[in-house]
Amino acid sequence: MPEFLQYVITGLAVGMVYALIALGFALVWKSSSVANLALGQLVLISSWFTYGMLVQASLPYWLGLPLTILFALFLGWIIERFALRPLVAQPILSLITVTLGVAYFLEGVVSFIWPMSVAALPRIFPVEPVHIGPAVVSQEYIWAAVISLALFGLLSLFFRYHRMGVAMRATADDQLAVQACAIPVTSVFSTSWMFACVVAAIGGVLISCIGGITFGLVETGLKSFSVVILGGLNSFVGCIVAGPIIGLCENLGGGYLTPLIGPGIKDIIPFIIIIIVMFIKPYGLFGETRIERI
Amino acid sequence: MDLPCGTRNYDYAKDMAILRTRTHWALFIGLLVIVFTAPLYLGNYWLGVANLIGITIIAVTGLNILMGYCGQLSIGHAGFIAVGAYTAAILTSKLGFPFLAGLICSGFTAGFIGLIFGIPSVRVKGFYLAITTIAAQFIIIWIINHWAGVTGGFVGISVPYASIGGLSFKDEASQFYLIMVITAVCILFAKNLARGRVGRAFIAIRDNDLAAEVMGVNLLHYKLLAFFIGCFLAGIAGSLFAHWIGFLSAENFTLTDSILYVGMVVIGGLGTTLGPILGVIFIRLLQQGIMYISPVLENAFPGLPAGFATGVGPMVFGLVIVLFLVLEPRGLAHRWGLFKSAYRLWPFSY
Repeated sequence: MPEFLQYVITGLAVGMVYALIALGFALVWKSSSVANLALGQLVLISSWFTYGMLVQASLPYWLGLPLTILFALFLGWIIERFALRPLVAQPILSLITVTLGVAYFLEGVVSFIWPMSVAALPRIFPVEPVHIGPAVVSQEYIWAAVISLALFGLLSLFFRYHRMGVAMRATADDQLAVQACAIPVTSVFSTSWMFACVVAAIGGVLISCIGGITFGLVETGLKSFSVVILGGLNSFVGCIVAGPIIGLCENLGGGYLTPLIGPGIKDIIPFIIIIIVMFIKPYGLFGETRIERI
Repeated sequence: MDLPCGTRNYDYAKDMAILRTRTHWALFIGLLVIVFTAPLYLGNYWLGVANLIGITIIAVTGLNILMGYCGQLSIGHAGFIAVGAYTAAILTSKLGFPFLAGLICSGFTAGFIGLIFGIPSVRVKGFYLAITTIAAQFIIIWIINHWAGVTGGFVGISVPYASIGGLSFKDEASQFYLIMVITAVCILFAKNLARGRVGRAFIAIRDNDLAAEVMGVNLLHYKLLAFFIGCFLAGIAGSLFAHWIGFLSAENFTLTDSILYVGMVVIGGLGTTLGPILGVIFIRLLQQGIMYISPVLENAFPGLPAGFATGVGPMVFGLVIVLFLVLEPRGLAHRWGLFKSAYRLWPFSY
């Protein structure tokens, strides 16, 4: 029983981080309907950047972590400005493929600057594990869940009350009408990309506090696609609900199926969920079914 | 097809001919002569590169049918190639199948696996399909790595050389002929498929699938057919790859390779027969160039970071993919078409 509780708690915590990364995807998708397949690589490169700041340049936390956020903002702006904006109004195939090209490029940059393929971040959170009932959970998980939840709260407040947040929701609703209201659509696009990169960076730092920095972070980013798919592409609520579900399935499945099926089953459970969702309810739990006209 | 002034078609056979004028024939025969005498003047290393190019052309032609003609994005193509490669390896090395039977079987196996993962395409498209195929890639590679009794798992599996009858294809030169012949057959197949009823149905689906359905194109049938054919060709390529490389492990079929295949289609030109050929040759030669130049640069500039050799390749490929999409979305095939019409219209090039 203690192990069950442990799987549940770690699963929920990891799931919250997945949900956070997925939120970044949903943001870009909602405002500009670009599917950002470079999510995994964004997570990877910003984790490595944090490593570079905190360990290689040995900056203190109060300087290193804000620099990571700045870097993510800059990265988002660059990607939107030079890869996505020239392709406005192109077919969706090009939009997806261009993010693949960006992904490939970022992976190259990572192995260019940080050729060692494994590293560990310094311990940002306290070391002592927490006892919740019979389960023993290390503090990273708790902090990851708390920080993700707090960011969710902040972002939803932003969307509700801030001018830019309202503009982003409006752009998601109807681009033409928004342009007619003199809202600069291009700056909405680049803001959404910057936000997406920031949440990917924070998610990446949280995940690599738990599991270290490896190329597996790309898979972490890809796993959050299963959150997006399960929750429904254009739904923030879907992300929050589906994230913990995916985390739970992954950890419980990994815990109980590994003796039955073999090691590594944990890593493909999210992908199996994607396939199952695709067969049963392709638009996810909260996504709206697209109605098309010819 | 743009033909020179005064070329007239007096019957249907002429109208449908691929090689229409004397210049076409002369150039085609010249190409054949150059390709099939290549082992005489290419060294073993470059023959190996040519073999890899041939194999990749088959795979990317399949992806082009799926993506360029039918508009169904697949980012799991390396996974389907892996299915073909492992089928061929298991059938020929463990069950003693002859090479040709293994080739056909691996095509069909990859095709059917592709069908399974293609079923969601009937209801969804675009991003959803991209994610499904990424999931397919990961699941296939996981199964290969963990079903050790059959596939050899992380250790890998060794594959015998290809042989037809008593003829054994042991060195690069003989494999070169084998691969080139099969590649030529596949290209011809793709060309004729695209010109025929099926290809037109694919194009209709790509341009607007709802409109196509209203016009009477059976979406279920044709989308699944596209997945089957695309993955069938991937399986053929996988089988040839297995026999060519001699030893398989899942390392040869990563997600990065899948992305690179998509890049090849885009760089070559979506929805053209020539596109995959040009795209593959471009990317593979670029790889060779980078492999050649990165040690040189490292020696010349000792201050470069240690990851230069491994990192510069993906950076260049990613950049090339993005630049092509931004600057020349119709790919190299379009450039070739422009060049041809400039040649034909010379000196009045408008």
